[in-house]
Amino acid sequence: MVDTSVSFMSSLCMGIIEEQVLIPYPAMAAEQKETLHGVIDSVKQLLGPRAEDFRKWDRAGEMPAAFVEELKQFGLFGLVIPEEFGGMGFKSASYARTLQEIAKYDASVAVTVGAHSSIGMRGLLLFGTPEQKQRYLPKLATGEMIAAFALTEAGAGSDAAALKTRAERDGDGWVLTGNKLWITNGGIADFFTVFARTGELEGKPHITAFIVTRDMPGVSVGTHEDKMGLRASSTTTVHFDGVRVPAENVLGEENKGFKVAMAILNNGRTGLGGGAIGAMKKLIEHSTKYANERKTFGKSIREYGMIKLKVGQMVVDCYATEAAVEMVAALIDGGYEDYAVEAAISKVFASEALWHTADEALQIAGGNGYMCEYPYERMIRDARINRIFEGTNEILRLFIALTAMNDVGSQLKELSSSMRGLFDDPIKGFGVLRQYALKHASLVTGIPRARSRFTLVSPELHEATTVFEELTRHLAAAVDRILRKHGRNIIGKQLASRRLANIMIDLFVLACVISRVNASLAALGAEKAAKEVDILKVFSGQVERRVKHAFGLIDINDDELIKGLADHAFDAEKFSWDNV
Amino acid sequence: MKILVALKRVADPANHNKVKIPAAGDKIDTAGLEWQINPFDLYALETALRLTEDGKAPKTRLGEVVAVTLGPAETETNLRSALATGADRAIRVDTTDDALDGRLVAAALQKLVEEEKPDLVLMGKQVVDGENNYVGQALAELLDWPMATFAATIKEEAGGLLVGREVDGGVSTLRVKFPAVVTVDLRIVAPDSVRSSKTAEGFKYPYEEVRFAPLPAIMQAKKKPLAVKKLADLVGGATLSSKYVKFEAPPARKAGVKVKDVQELVQKLATEAKAI
Repeated sequence: MVDTSVSFMSSLCMGIIEEQVLIPYPAMAAEQKETLHGVIDSVKQLLGPRAEDFRKWDRAGEMPAAFVEELKQFGLFGLVIPEEFGGMGFKSASYARTLQEIAKYDASVAVTVGAHSSIGMRGLLLFGTPEQKQRYLPKLATGEMIAAFALTEAGAGSDAAALKTRAERDGDGWVLTGNKLWITNGGIADFFTVFARTGELEGKPHITAFIVTRDMPGVSVGTHEDKMGLRASSTTTVHFDGVRVPAENVLGEENKGFKVAMAILNNGRTGLGGGAIGAMKKLIEHSTKYANERKTFGKSIREYGMIKLKVGQMVVDCYATEAAVEMVAALIDGGYEDYAVEAAISKVFASEALWHTADEALQIAGGNGYMCEYPYERMIRDARINRIFEGTNEILRLFIALTAMNDVGSQLKELSSSMRGLFDDPIKGFGVLRQYALKHASLVTGIPRARSRFTLVSPELHEATTVFEELTRHLAAAVDRILRKHGRNIIGKQLASRRLANIMIDLFVLACVISRVNASLAALGAEKAAKEVDILKVFSGQVERRVKHAFGLIDINDDELIKGLADHAFDAEKFSWDNV
Repeated sequence: MKILVALKRVADPANHNKVKIPAAGDKIDTAGLEWQINPFDLYALETALRLTEDGKAPKTRLGEVVAVTLGPAETETNLRSALATGADRAIRVDTTDDALDGRLVAAALQKLVEEEKPDLVLMGKQVVDGENNYVGQALAELLDWPMATFAATIKEEAGGLLVGREVDGGVSTLRVKFPAVVTVDLRIVAPDSVRSSKTAEGFKYPYEEVRFAPLPAIMQAKKKPLAVKKLADLVGGATLSSKYVKFEAPPARKAGVKVKDVQELVQKLATEAKAI
């Protein structure tokens, strides 16, 4: 019996390797694979011939309504909607795989589908009442209604507490007023998941999620935003001017909107990850073909070490990203309760791996890479947003580090009640950290050796598992040292939190890669899995060097100096040294 | 109209460089190959769908299309895809490629046709793996049915079909009466190549290839019937009448040369290639 209350990462921060959460590596059932083969085939036939259109629509900054209609007819808006409501009933794993496929052809199409399925209607899926589902899911499945997620405002992105949109009670309903910004699908959506203030308690706002439809009087959208990338996808402002929303359109519990928003974002993360993998695979295809054909100094550039280094790294990063995203999908689909940190890690890793891959792919193509007739500049523009939307990678790093420390604190029973609210109210929560820090060391040293080791992994991967086990001890020690060093002030120590988050990101992804390679080794044998074993060797070496470096910087670093330089520049608002 | 469409699974022709022959030369190593339905058979499926619908309303089937293949369990993926595209039922004859030759396939299909009693059997004019072009003709012979091969256009008429066949130097038009066997060529999927009696004259399909399944159809296809039959139940004790003796890869091509001008080209064609 699998214990789905275990969180791999919070255990890891205590030095415990809950290997049964990640091993065996998730495998798809035969029927699921067959369905996906059909989907992949059909998506290829739908989108494959449109390459020239996608280029044109990127330039034009819009995809034609007739094409959106084709996407609806094709059924792309029903991916995650249960079959009984007319959808495909895909869980996270199949959904991420499908978005991967779409993203190979066009990022704007992927994000149009993703904004609908990953976040636009996911609140309804997760928190909707049976009546709400009955009412909207069939229309959302056919695309008769397209969904959008409306959280961001001019003054409030990840900072949900700064929301200005308000909903006030009016008889048995609500009246909604406010303006939302950068809403993906804004211009084509009929169904909005909207977050608004519904009151406050001791200065903290209460947020509630609402289902708002385009036909409600007072809903309007602004013009199509002119963006760097994803240019053919619709991004607009959305305005609510005294919109009357019936009481039955409250989504989830009243005043629990923050929880609803977080659950949606966490649960939908594999969509973004899947899209990133698709783009990376496409970039690898472009780069390898290019390097095979391009000759300099009489030699194909594939012969050059510096080109090989780039392509080899792309392969390692893509494999690792896919391992992490598939693992997070399996955690979600497997009913794990707590996967927020792992999901956030997969988002940060995937978006940065894609960025690095796109950058290097462009570099391999040299001057051609900079030209619009080649695919690279568009793919790099399309890739850039992934590090920003659905929570910036900076915010997610803080989230990863602080949640881990919160979880670690919760393990100590006597402190748990005061620690539980750490992330909701970090300032208050950290009052107890000094006490915690004293207890932590004894706790970590008390962990039985068996629980800090991999036992389910093939001995052939012993090198990597040994590295992982050693680094896990580093992680536990890092948590301890960072808390000892900063105590209640950790919340202001973003660079220390970032350092911890980076260690956690690397370790989670490495654990996923170990699991994936372990499964391939068992299924294919040493000879056929040899290249995958090499990927693990390279990746674990890279992780080891990064983590040890980061660990070394916990106590001795230039954090204060570099922050001082920033302050100096902020005061001057310019670069201060001029030799003329 | 009831149509039986015979489909063969082939290795993706785009991956021909993955085809490997072991040193013993006794077989083709199929490991790592990607499989798909023979493109000409896909055209036959498209033809069957066009013949059983009004082109304006392709979601409504006005006849029955039964997709058939002979192969191992993995080929059910190909049958499911045919079902998703629009076929109503599927039959798989359980066997493996190396247990088959054209005669056995034709004999098995004959039995299925006798059971199913379709008005029409459709298949590709040839198969792109071995470039074989046999089963359609052999099946018509076994059934003693009228046959039209290499169909480029098909118009449904009362009780039969008017088939345009591409032949050297022009088009030969045949009128075949049901029941019949027809094998199709590439041009059968042009927008106005196939017209059922329900489709208005002058109607053109808005695409020039085969249709593909929208996603909901992929889910619905899971619920469509797929029967499995044993080869022996269809052909009894019949055995292979042709056997492969040896496989070998074609000799590697020599690298080409660049010529300066037409003169040099002509000279090389004459002296080196001995082509003129």
